[in-house]
Amino acid sequence: MTHPPPSLSDRLRAHGISRRSFLRYCATTASLLALPPAMAPRIAQALEAQRRPSVIWLSFQECTGCTESILRSDAPSIESLIFESISLDYHHTLMAASGHAAEAAREAAMAENAGQYLVLVDGSIPLGNMGFSTTAGESNVETLRRVAAGAAAIVSIGTCAAYGGIPYANPNPTGAVPVSEIIRDKPIVNIPGCPPIPAVMTSVLAHFLAFGELPELDDLGRPVVFYGQNIHDRCYRRPFYERGEFAESFDDEGAKKGWCLYKLGCKGPTTYNACAVLKWNGGTSFPIEAGHPCLGCSEPNFWDAGSFYQPLSQATDLDSRTLALAVGAGVAGAVVAGVAGREAQKAHHEAAAKRAADRSKAEVSE
Amino acid sequence: MTEVVTKDELGEAFAMFYGMAAAIGDMVEPAPEMDDAERVQRAKDTFLHGLDGTFALQLDVCVHCGACAEACQFYIGTEDPAYVPVRKLDLMKRVYQRELSPLRWLHRLTTPEITADDLRAQQTLVYDACTMCGRCNLVCPSGINISEMVHLNREALAAAGLMPDELRFMDDGQAADGTIFGADADLFRFRIEDLEQRLGFAIPVDKESADVLLVTSGLDIHLFRDATGGAIETLTHMGIDYTLLSDAYEGANFGLLSGDVKVQKELTRKLTEAAIRIGAKVVIVPECGHSFPALRWGAAESVGKPVPFDVMTVSEYFGRAVMDGRLTLEPQKHEKPIALHDPCKVGRWGGVFDEPRAILKACGYDLHETDSSRTYNFCCGGGAGNFLIERADPLKRAGYRVKMNEIEKTGAESLVVSCGSCRMNFEVGKVKAGDTMPVESLAAVIAAHLPKTPKEAAE
Amino acid sequence: MTLLDFARGPALEWAAVIFVVGLFWRIGGLIFLARARPLSRNRRDDLWRGGWRMVWSRFVPNRVFRDRISLQFLAGWVWHVGFFVVLLMFEVHILFFEGLFGLSWPALPNTVILVAAAVTAGLLVMLLIRRATQPVLRAISGFDDYASVVVVLLPLLTGLASYAHLGLAYETMLALHLLSVALLLVWLPFSKLVHVITMLPSRYVMGVKFWRRGVEV
Repeated sequence: MTHPPPSLSDRLRAHGISRRSFLRYCATTASLLALPPAMAPRIAQALEAQRRPSVIWLSFQECTGCTESILRSDAPSIESLIFESISLDYHHTLMAASGHAAEAAREAAMAENAGQYLVLVDGSIPLGNMGFSTTAGESNVETLRRVAAGAAAIVSIGTCAAYGGIPYANPNPTGAVPVSEIIRDKPIVNIPGCPPIPAVMTSVLAHFLAFGELPELDDLGRPVVFYGQNIHDRCYRRPFYERGEFAESFDDEGAKKGWCLYKLGCKGPTTYNACAVLKWNGGTSFPIEAGHPCLGCSEPNFWDAGSFYQPLSQATDLDSRTLALAVGAGVAGAVVAGVAGREAQKAHHEAAAKRAADRSKAEVSE
Repeated sequence: MTEVVTKDELGEAFAMFYGMAAAIGDMVEPAPEMDDAERVQRAKDTFLHGLDGTFALQLDVCVHCGACAEACQFYIGTEDPAYVPVRKLDLMKRVYQRELSPLRWLHRLTTPEITADDLRAQQTLVYDACTMCGRCNLVCPSGINISEMVHLNREALAAAGLMPDELRFMDDGQAADGTIFGADADLFRFRIEDLEQRLGFAIPVDKESADVLLVTSGLDIHLFRDATGGAIETLTHMGIDYTLLSDAYEGANFGLLSGDVKVQKELTRKLTEAAIRIGAKVVIVPECGHSFPALRWGAAESVGKPVPFDVMTVSEYFGRAVMDGRLTLEPQKHEKPIALHDPCKVGRWGGVFDEPRAILKACGYDLHETDSSRTYNFCCGGGAGNFLIERADPLKRAGYRVKMNEIEKTGAESLVVSCGSCRMNFEVGKVKAGDTMPVESLAAVIAAHLPKTPKEAAE
Repeated sequence: MTLLDFARGPALEWAAVIFVVGLFWRIGGLIFLARARPLSRNRRDDLWRGGWRMVWSRFVPNRVFRDRISLQFLAGWVWHVGFFVVLLMFEVHILFFEGLFGLSWPALPNTVILVAAAVTAGLLVMLLIRRATQPVLRAISGFDDYASVVVVLLPLLTGLASYAHLGLAYETMLALHLLSVALLLVWLPFSKLVHVITMLPSRYVMGVKFWRRGVEV
């Protein structure tokens, strides 16, 4: 490579984006990341100076929903343009190359940017039969290990990569695990969601590009700024919850009046994500606003945490059948305890009577 | 009424009797030797013998709310938490938990076995500090029968050779000759002759058969002659076919009070068989609190089958006669209000409430009820043999005070009781507290209101 | 599995099984014991009437005891009623039972539940302090007595905290609430709390005994 690659600002200008709107993007990103406004110029500076770091996107057991989501950033949005600032060297859905050429491009990028490149993963990794999911004859776990070895950091996009997601759900036929189960020596940031909010993904990338490090993470490896608050606390339907006004079904009066969806199984109270704040489709709406309870898709094990439509206050495993069985066992137990009690009484009485008889015999013999 | 005992005679007899009771401690033989393991074994055997499903349920249910303390006059009188009624069941509960509870496998890990020292410490709780009056049963939110379970404790201690000396003396005495305070058949005959002289008519003794068997007690023979005298006079007045028996005159049962089940049953059996022998339809027990339950609730048990006679206490028998119109009393003008004491074993544990009140009404008395009356009556403070236990004196005084305060509050100027040991306890309590409330026997009151015979009227 | 998943799932399930089996065991071991039968004649027949009468009459202390125990009885009444109101009349609790039995009933407004829970919890704390300080109660209290109050108190406190989003994160608080319920379920059959079942039968047998002797209580 003899020419230095064009900088972001060059490319923005080529796309007809003004410096003003670029700076506005930087300010938005700063505020999304809860950084002080003074940071916006620094983000701009860093992005402008960036020289297209190499990004390798690995897709394992996934549905491509995460990719769809990131693509659905409204065009021509600056979020989509952020990809102009990176060199997406491998993404087997998006890249033009196919067949061996695709893998060759990845190997080249890895060699060229060893220790520098960013790995984005969507999908979980099967540890069962290696044939469950392969790319170009290589098992997912092999690919991940090899590609991650030279990575600067890993971003687990979506709940599957972050926590195992749907493939991981009981009974987990493929032995799926999240990225963090396999890679332990690299910085990993989880951006869970099924799929994650586009702006969250792009903001985390911007942060990495701007500061060379990952944003502050919580104990589940999620950026605190986006996953620090639960949906319930930010939900516009919260007042109805406080008043005890609930929709009982999807088409009753309460549903029409926009009452709380708790009784319909809303997982908002236990789900940490920015949906109620950033919303979806360019800030248009989010599931609860559309009248559907939150599924809690960005939480670990969301698929196994009882029915989506089962209220949070209900037990997930306990049911009337179990109770009936317990009552049956209890009745049997009561009889056993009763018989044992009577036997104990009898044994005590007999032993006492024998002792009394022995005593009076002894007295007589005296 | 014929005065069968003058006030002076009564005072004299009382002093003598009190001296006798107080001397028990010196007369008693030392307790039989028993090693500690044997004591524990016998106590446990007794507990487990008495611990049926009903007691088990009730021991099990206690939530330790402490309400029973507020019903107990020994707690109210002393405010000593040691005397909280349900605490008296702790020892028994430990035996229950380890041996009989559905959770015994669990309790054996956490509940210590009872020891002989525990039993010794239990003595003051279930003898001195409880008269088994049963008032705590009435406040308990679970209706736990604390008082009868305390009685089972007495049985266990008795089996373990740990009765208080005074009760052991009485129990041994009754085991030997069937009576109390040495009131043997000779003294009984002497007292009958004495009463005959004073009453002026022959008293039927040892009839082959009679409708009614009248029982008396050593306490009446020695001391409260007016009670037995009153009953005799009234029965004769009513023309009842009754008799006393020189081989079955003692109603007292210190086997019951001390917890000696064997002696208790034996004494009751003797009376029961005598009553059956003469074909009695009714046995009238004397004005003696515990002789009523001993026979009323123990006669059938002592012979192992239902018995063909009714057992009534004096107040009940004559009260019913008054209520049915079989006995007419002559009302007199009584200026001063009186109070009535319902003996626990006759009232709360026997259901006799209306009868004494009917009698007092027929006599023209102005009865002032105590705040806690009838079922909720306070004990005299010395029932269940406690009036004999010397070391329990402070407790008896405390219990007496609680009771007497209620009586004084009524404004009554005399007190009527139909229980010898209540009366005894009131008399002793009065002396010790410097009170002056006169205490009268209900039987004597009845006799005093019998219509005058033409001869008497002529005089 | 998160703490909440554990609480909603296996914890509650096993606790409920232990609760049911334990309760039957304890009750069976009591009611099937042999009972003494009196031979002496009853003063009054229809014994069940005496038992039934006492089951109801003992809900309120007799007049003669009122000066001394009214406050205690009242406190007991209020917290018991409060507890069951919160347990059975709170919207989300009804949801729980609906999930279990398929039955639901009208709820009381949240504010009423909140007040009831706060009063109940407050009274329980007071009664716990009283138990630890009042000489009579101290003298008769053991581990079971203190522990049982705490075990009943915990669901109330964690419930209030999760309702008000106080303390830990909501799902942690909710999990703790469900775990405290599981603890209560496991504790009940093996502690004095079993009186919720045995208290009325105990009254009944005492009522029968008194009635047999001609005494109405």
